[in-house]
Amino acid sequence: GNGTLSLTPTAAQAATVSSIQVEGNRRIESSTIISYVTVIPGRNFGARDLNESLQSLFATGLFADVSLERRGNVLLVQVVENPVVRQVVFEGNRRIDDSALSTVVQLEPRRVLTESAVQSDTQRILEAYRRNGRFAARVEPKLIEVGDNRVDLVYEIEEDERSGVSRITFIGNQAFSDGKLRDTITTEQSGLLSFLSSADVYDPDRLDADRERLRRFYLSEGYADFRVVSAVAELDREQNVFFITFTVDEGPRYQFGNVEIDSTLRELDPEDLYSVLETRPGDTYDATAVDRSIEALTIEVSSYGYAFVQVRPRGDRNAADNTIDLTYFVDEGVRAYVERIDISGNTRTRDYVIRREFDFAEGDAFNRVLVDRAQRRLEALGFFERVRITTSQGSASDRIVLNVQVVEQSTGDFSFGVGYSTTSGVTLELSVTERNFLGRGQYVRAAVGGGLDENRTFDFSFTEPYFLGRRLAAGFDLYRRESGDSDDNAYTTIATGGALRIVAPITNDLNFGLSYGLDVSEYDLDAGSSASRAVLQLVGAPDFTTPTAANYSNERVTSSLTWTLVYDTIDNRTTPRDGYFARLRQTVAGLGGDAEYVQTTLDARAFRTLSTDLDLVASVRVQAGNVWSWDEDGLLIVDGFFKGADLVRGFDSLGPRDANTLDALGGTTYAGISGELNFALPYITEAIGIRGAVFADAGTLFDPVGSVDNIAGLTVNDDNSIRASVGASLIWNSPFGPLRADYAHVLASETYDREEAFRFSAGARF
Amino acid sequence: CASTEADDFADFVDDTRPPAVMFNEALATMERGDYRAAAEQFDELEQVHPYSEYAKRSLVLGAFSHFSSGRYPEAVNAGRRYVTLHPSGEDAAYAQFIVAQSYYNQIPDVNRDQEQTARAINAFRDLIRRYPDSEYVGPAQEQIRFANDQLAGSEMRVGRYYLDRRNYVASINRFRVVIEEYQTTRHVEEALHRVVENYMSMGVVDEAQTAAAVLGHNFPDSEWYQRSYRLLQSGGLEPQENSGSWISRAFAGFTGQGS
Amino acid sequence: CNTTEVRNHGFIMPDSGLEQVPVGSSKNQVLIVLGTPQTTATLDNEVFYYISQRSEQTFAFSRPEITDQRVLAVYFDENELVARIADYGLQDGVIFDFVSETTPTGGADLTFIGQILGGLGSAPTSVF
Repeated sequence: GNGTLSLTPTAAQAATVSSIQVEGNRRIESSTIISYVTVIPGRNFGARDLNESLQSLFATGLFADVSLERRGNVLLVQVVENPVVRQVVFEGNRRIDDSALSTVVQLEPRRVLTESAVQSDTQRILEAYRRNGRFAARVEPKLIEVGDNRVDLVYEIEEDERSGVSRITFIGNQAFSDGKLRDTITTEQSGLLSFLSSADVYDPDRLDADRERLRRFYLSEGYADFRVVSAVAELDREQNVFFITFTVDEGPRYQFGNVEIDSTLRELDPEDLYSVLETRPGDTYDATAVDRSIEALTIEVSSYGYAFVQVRPRGDRNAADNTIDLTYFVDEGVRAYVERIDISGNTRTRDYVIRREFDFAEGDAFNRVLVDRAQRRLEALGFFERVRITTSQGSASDRIVLNVQVVEQSTGDFSFGVGYSTTSGVTLELSVTERNFLGRGQYVRAAVGGGLDENRTFDFSFTEPYFLGRRLAAGFDLYRRESGDSDDNAYTTIATGGALRIVAPITNDLNFGLSYGLDVSEYDLDAGSSASRAVLQLVGAPDFTTPTAANYSNERVTSSLTWTLVYDTIDNRTTPRDGYFARLRQTVAGLGGDAEYVQTTLDARAFRTLSTDLDLVASVRVQAGNVWSWDEDGLLIVDGFFKGADLVRGFDSLGPRDANTLDALGGTTYAGISGELNFALPYITEAIGIRGAVFADAGTLFDPVGSVDNIAGLTVNDDNSIRASVGASLIWNSPFGPLRADYAHVLASETYDREEAFRFSAGARF
Repeated sequence: CASTEADDFADFVDDTRPPAVMFNEALATMERGDYRAAAEQFDELEQVHPYSEYAKRSLVLGAFSHFSSGRYPEAVNAGRRYVTLHPSGEDAAYAQFIVAQSYYNQIPDVNRDQEQTARAINAFRDLIRRYPDSEYVGPAQEQIRFANDQLAGSEMRVGRYYLDRRNYVASINRFRVVIEEYQTTRHVEEALHRVVENYMSMGVVDEAQTAAAVLGHNFPDSEWYQRSYRLLQSGGLEPQENSGSWISRAFAGFTGQGS
Repeated sequence: CNTTEVRNHGFIMPDSGLEQVPVGSSKNQVLIVLGTPQTTATLDNEVFYYISQRSEQTFAFSRPEITDQRVLAVYFDENELVARIADYGLQDGVIFDFVSETTPTGGADLTFIGQILGGLGSAPTSVF
């Protein structure tokens, strides 16, 4: 609207009017309009007053046009009111439905329609389509008069197909294959299953983020001079797809030359600071190692009392031998204190759940490194979509206020899991998880599961990550598991129990767990079934006649204490490429209850990337376990280990067996070693992301539990011989989770072991 | 394919009944207590007859109906629209009160972001500033006091958090915010006692005494003053009262009080 | 490997800071040398307190324990000159349990149902 200011020329200097009249208003009372006019009848006013009145009337957004005119001694205010929206209609939209669009736009029925509001709503609709991947969508707003200064607002929308990404190519990369680089970025090529994920849709913001990911990847692999020369996305109009080309300049691969610490702090001997550095001369240059060293140095130096320390690295390249000499400058930074930590945006999470992630308190020295550390910790909680920590000036020059703004995300998951493995068939699981229960940062999970053969599981678990205000994750689990009689064991088990557990981090890779478990299991064998004598012993049958004359049932209580030590530096859970995982666990059963034994198990794995170009990863796994009891009948068949493909692939079940009924009897001791080479399958499966693997396993399980051994009339096949196999697997990281198919050729086995060449399973086991 | 919505807006039939009939129907629905339906009927009247005198009344009654059916965002929108369209209307103060009260009813507990509390206070202050002689000024002042009490409560919560961890500087300064800026709230007594506890823990006994003296002078018979007095007398030797067995502390650990 | 992490909270004494603010020096001098006080006297702001603490955390899970604590109290006379400086150490601190009662506060607490419904509303259904 353009206000017109028509004043007779003579009124340039001060003038007065005796009254103000309003014309053209229908819905808005004259008194309201006059209240916005700064001219007071009988008092002088100038052009400035008129201008101000004009501004304030327009600011209300109620008027399409306003004009002020002096007629004699009357100030005439003529207004044209903006129309009122009767309804907002979207036409031609299929991909995004009406209700979704109406939440995006601000103009809604009964609102006053203004030019600017229509423009910004049109932009909002276009933005919604952009985020949905449709860059070629067009939106045309139309106004239809419906009388009484009311108007219908119709948005005519022309959508068109999603602009997918058909090919991503890299130019200038020698060190790493296109496939490897595609893995490091998030934009994907449209492939067979692209309808499942939206990552294959062209999105410029994601492309910028990918440039940064590429840079960070190269900088951590020694390419200090790496540059993304260009990232170009050309739209092919006919097929409506994008071709994305990254042109990169890798530059040489650097190693660390000599590494020095140059400190201006007096009573500090740099010599004893070198131990915290992660950048050793001769290592391949790695920017993330430099960042970690800066953090470690800052924390180490501030522990000597220099809280305001500032560590700045400088790298000098020497082109001759492609090394970078690194110098860490350690000096006193600005002396500023944190005055307040103000947390906002936490409409669900409680204040202390956020505040406790800060290692410093209000009134402490301001240290950038500790702020970044808190930021990383908050992001790792998984409660927030975004965490932004900004600083602003406090009440004094040396005081800083930290503003922690969080945007929460839904931390509740309702997931439906389908698992399949040839050993236990199809299993279904329904689970509800809440990771930020009642905003207290507590984890709650309830799950119900079932299989085809009457397997039923009910699980509930709760964890408080900061028990007693310390970094102690304490919690409890409750479960009830019914497993029906399947081909290899004729009895049914109903196990009900729970555990109290507490986990304490020793360092950030090593943690120690302690838990008390109570399990009440009932073993039932129906009348008329035939089973191994060991099973008859389990269910408390008086004699060993089979088929059994009556139903037998035996209830057994196991009350045990377990400690666990877990060391875990695995880089990525679904496709590990580097790092170690080791779990040592010991359970002592016998604090009351029937079972009495000490069970110790070890599971250790190591992963190493042999060649980043071929994406070839070697891994070794060592397993061992033993259960021992100080009292012969403290152990029953169920306390032994039952091993199969999880020890040596190619076996359904191996180890001690009842010679006549061929039931597996379990063993008190097992050991196994397995090596695997796992690689990305190039070309054909590039789009879907299938990996191949070759492996060799060896292992043994022997010596059934004592009470089974001395059952009269039970002939046991048992040798502590090595079973071995070699084989190949296909691993697919499908959107449904990791799926794996193994084919194993058995090299050595006992005649009574039960082999199984092919095995298919879903879900990563860690 | 021709979109089925082409004539969508044509079938929007204007409710041809005169505004008076629609208004009475909506009024009756509201009196029956069916606030959600009444809100919709008032909105529809305003949509069809925006220029009728009834539109003004139905805007404020619509706001009230949304408010009573707990739909606070809608109540705020309706209330705000009334105040901008009819700033000097006779129901303007009431509409502003509905806006403020809608924010007030969404105030979360002290552990969480007090943004709604701040919005409620500003809305009540607008009411007092714009309509100084309206009958809602009294209740508005009352609600401001409660809302301030909530803001003070959130400062207290952080103060106790730092006291538990013995970050005395952080704790003292948080309680001083309550003492200096929220003197009219109920928390000021406890805040003073916490300052005494802080200084006693650091051994700065004379500062603890001044804080206790301020507490005793202003709130002679408050139980917080008793506690400060006992702490000073005993020099803190025998514990105030033991905070329960290890189990109760552990339980508190679970419910988050312990941290 | 030494897992202890040492942290310094509160005021950090600049080198030879104390020598530069002898009795008789002005309040501005104190402000320049020692900086803004961590907190001041409750009544009339006539005392500057500089509080520093050193805590050690042996393991990642253990609670940091205060191993050293200094409270520097700078008293001013009526014409704002340093009258005396008191220095309280860790040993002056008095050990007692803090009062566990708190002043009740209102506001809608997040109920279990509210959270679950709220949480579920926008929960992504991820297929295992």
